[in-house]
Amino acid sequence: MRMIKDTSPKALYIHIPFCVKRCNYCDFNSTVSASNTIDRYLDAVEREFETLKDRYLFHTVYIGGGTPTVLNESQLERLLDSAIHYGMVSDNTREFTVEANPATVTQAKARLLKDHLVNRISIGVQSFQEKHLKMLGRIHTGDDAKDTFALLRKAGFHNINVDLIFGCPGQTLNDWEKDLEVAIGLYPEHVSTYALTYEDDTPLARDLQNEVISNLDESVELEMYKTAITYGTDNGYNHYEISNFAKSGYECVHNNFYWKNLSYAGVGAGAFSFINGVRTAHEKNVLSYIDGILQNNDTTVFRERLPDAQSAAETVVMSLRLRKGVSNADFYERFGCKIDDRFRDQIGNLSREGLVSYEDEHLRLTEKGLFVADTVMAEFL
Amino acid sequence: MSTEHIRNFCIIAHIDHGKSTLADRLLEKTHTISSREFRHQMLDDMDLERERGITIKASAVALKLVRNGKEYQLNLIDTPGHVDFNYEVSRSLGACEGALLLVDSSQGVEAQTVANAYLAMEHNLTIIPVISKLDLPQSRPDEVLVEMEKTLGIDPHEALRVSAKTGEGVDAIFDAVIERIPPPKGIADAPLKALIFDSVYDEYRGVIIYLRIFDGSVKVGDEIYMMKTKSSFKVEEVGVFKPKMVVKDCLFAGEVGYCIANIKSLHDVKVGDTVTHNRERAAEALPGYRAPMPMVYCGVYPADNADFHLLREALERLSLNDSSFTFEPETSQALGFGFRCGFNINIVQTAPNVTYEILKTNKEVIRVDNPEKVPPVNEIEEFREPVVRASFVLPTEYVGTVMQFAEGRRGRYKSTDYLSEKRAILVYELPLAEIIFDFFDKMKSATRGYGTLDYDFIGYEPADLVKLDILVSEKRVDALSTIVHRKDAEIKGRKLVKKLKNEISRHLFEVVLQAAIGSRVIARESIRAIAKNVTAKCYGGDITRKRKLLEKQKEGKKRMKSVGNVEIPQKAFLSVLSVDE
Ligand SMILES: Nc1nc2c(ncn2[C@@H]2O[C@H](COP(=O)(O)OP(=O)(O)OP(=O)(O)O)[C@@H](O)[C@H]2O)c(=O)[nH]1
Ligand code: SF4
Ligand SMILES: [Mg+2]
Repeated sequence: MRMIKDTSPKALYIHIPFCVKRCNYCDFNSTVSASNTIDRYLDAVEREFETLKDRYLFHTVYIGGGTPTVLNESQLERLLDSAIHYGMVSDNTREFTVEANPATVTQAKARLLKDHLVNRISIGVQSFQEKHLKMLGRIHTGDDAKDTFALLRKAGFHNINVDLIFGCPGQTLNDWEKDLEVAIGLYPEHVSTYALTYEDDTPLARDLQNEVISNLDESVELEMYKTAITYGTDNGYNHYEISNFAKSGYECVHNNFYWKNLSYAGVGAGAFSFINGVRTAHEKNVLSYIDGILQNNDTTVFRERLPDAQSAAETVVMSLRLRKGVSNADFYERFGCKIDDRFRDQIGNLSREGLVSYEDEHLRLTEKGLFVADTVMAEFL
Repeated sequence: MSTEHIRNFCIIAHIDHGKSTLADRLLEKTHTISSREFRHQMLDDMDLERERGITIKASAVALKLVRNGKEYQLNLIDTPGHVDFNYEVSRSLGACEGALLLVDSSQGVEAQTVANAYLAMEHNLTIIPVISKLDLPQSRPDEVLVEMEKTLGIDPHEALRVSAKTGEGVDAIFDAVIERIPPPKGIADAPLKALIFDSVYDEYRGVIIYLRIFDGSVKVGDEIYMMKTKSSFKVEEVGVFKPKMVVKDCLFAGEVGYCIANIKSLHDVKVGDTVTHNRERAAEALPGYRAPMPMVYCGVYPADNADFHLLREALERLSLNDSSFTFEPETSQALGFGFRCGFNINIVQTAPNVTYEILKTNKEVIRVDNPEKVPPVNEIEEFREPVVRASFVLPTEYVGTVMQFAEGRRGRYKSTDYLSEKRAILVYELPLAEIIFDFFDKMKSATRGYGTLDYDFIGYEPADLVKLDILVSEKRVDALSTIVHRKDAEIKGRKLVKKLKNEISRHLFEVVLQAAIGSRVIARESIRAIAKNVTAKCYGGDITRKRKLLEKQKEGKKRMKSVGNVEIPQKAFLSVLSVDE
């Protein structure tokens, strides 16, 4: 088998692990921290930029969290300035996304973003309905979300994503349709819809365990998912990935690197990188991360180089998320064998069940397969 | 050579009453092993025994002792006390003239105390009652002596009082062994007559047989002849256990020792067989023992068919070490009841079942060790099942509970006897099938640990039995078939499919579970298909998390067997046993 190509990362992820308050379902790397900790964190991030300077040319940069917009105006300005200063972003950067949460974006922050080459915003709306927002432990109201959207539009952003969550305890199909309607009524270029998951050690999972709340029936969740697909496609969005919808030409470029299992660099606490076939992750704890970076210690807590076979399997698993699937050409180019040779048994069994199709040298999930994607993907590992 | 100085004895007791500990003390006091060599429970030499602290394989050791200026050789034969090893107890007894009947003074007479004492009496052994664990605060020796007198007719004045833990009173045991147990009565110059009371397989030496010499002698170079198997071997080495094997020139009448004779497999040796000289054969064999008939079977299948040869190797190794273990590689494999084998392979084990007898309409009688082999209903004239006589020794306050429990298991009441005001022996006849699985544990918990149980096979009896089949998505799964009483069939069938519904995880399609008797379906459940299973995106490119999630999903499939497209987990095969929960 041949060596994996694609060595130089073209995508950069920057993690800002701070929020106003932890949401009830959250198990992302995020904390509530004092302002001076954030300052020190930015020192560390800047130090990482310095190391990356002149090494790679990033086509996409994504600042995610946490809540990047929890930074105050001067902190935000500093972060964006240094990203530009160290060449992480430039006029040539194709896509520069910043995640923003409702009730944390001021006009000044919006202008800062706009003035620092940011060309895509992803808003964590989740729902427009108070009861669900409350259940999720979000800090904002539905109106806040609409206001934030409007504010960013006015600041001149022409590529905005709205994140929505479905399957909240007590949510009805009707509730969900309303959320979709409101979201689409804002005319965002991109919409992401995720089913709520109960992650271990979150308040929501505990409530579920203690039977304070109950999860939705799977069939209702399925209906909600199907509704999202119908709404999206009926309103001119392209359902290009399991959870993502975009107006033509507005598909997220950055996430595409993950989905295709291509290289990317990561900066910040807990951030993953995948460079030269080696996957690494930074220390998750914010304070340890800051100290480690600032004292020039190695903050890598995870490192793996997958054997080609496993890498091939992961590539298929990730790429199956894309509706257009995995192309044999790409697969062959990278792994030196045909996808239908490598996964003959799986493709055979799963297509007999009508869960995947292999046509025109593309392996994809069928609609039936889409709904049980995890089960299908597990077959390839 | 005279046998005047030899004594052959064993220790018999209920499980955990302290045999191995007492044996250790005896070894220590006679300096049979130096304290440097001393490990606890010297006689338990199988690894399995050490792990579980239960004695399985009878072992023998020669103790040297000087009394009144005379040197004695005391041969101690250790016996297992567990309820399932009656057969092995019996074969040790055949090699002895006397037995120490050990009773834990804090527990009193228990079911196997009674069973083993009777066995010893049947073998005409001199019994030396020993009350042990006197050091325990809850020790109640006087009450226990009354119990022994009442149940076994033992004279309380004959009993020795000891603590195997502290060694107190142990010296008196030696005196009693020398004075009360008769020396073996062998004829030194008669043709060789020796009983094989055990055998083990050693990787380097081949089979080692444990012998009790009754008449004559055996030495290196002798050509020996096994009277039952009718095979002959050349003796390479003889010796005694101290407890390590110590080579001797010759074993004489009355002695206990080992013999190595280039025997390749345990199956070439029959425990209970009589060894004699090939040239000068004994006129008749010793009584020997009835070979144990495997009564309980269970299937063992590799979870991954590719591991079939590994499983076969593991089973072959096991059978080399235990001649009562038999297996048929292609079909079902027999497993001694109660053994939990440490297979280092991923296996799927089916529920154990007893061996039935079926009288067919053509008058042929067949033995059925696997429900699969039950002939069609119209060919069955009579279905018979093994029945045991079970004795429970328990505090009187639990008699009612245990009676209720035994009756729920199709038990037939026989008798109640009182050991004392507080303890009783309750006797029931029960189908073996009703007790092979959880009976013992259930009885224990119903009596808060105070009840004990011993049982003996008494014979086959006709019963109204039927084969209950399980169909998974229309396919009959042999390994899930069971034989049940007709009156329980519907309830069991219904409970079983309910249970399986919980054990089998959801698939991408609906899985239908049915219980059937012949072609009549008596219960049905279905496991609905997975409708939706899609999780969230990968944040910050953390693909490892997604992978872990999917791998966890895969991991669960390891100990599973697929039937058609349906993955059935190991637990499901055993759920047949616990439908009542
Ligand atoms: N206090 C006290 N404990 C004892 C005495 N004798 C044995 N024990 C303990 O009783 C338990 C059982 O002793 P074992 O010698 O293993 O019993 P066993 O009869 O060989 O058991 P099996 O081989 O399983 O039948 C162990 O925990 C011993 O330490 C004694 O005289 N006093
Ligand atoms: S805003 Fe997002 S990252 Fe922050 S606590 Fe809520 S869910 Fe977690
Ligand atoms: Mg023992």
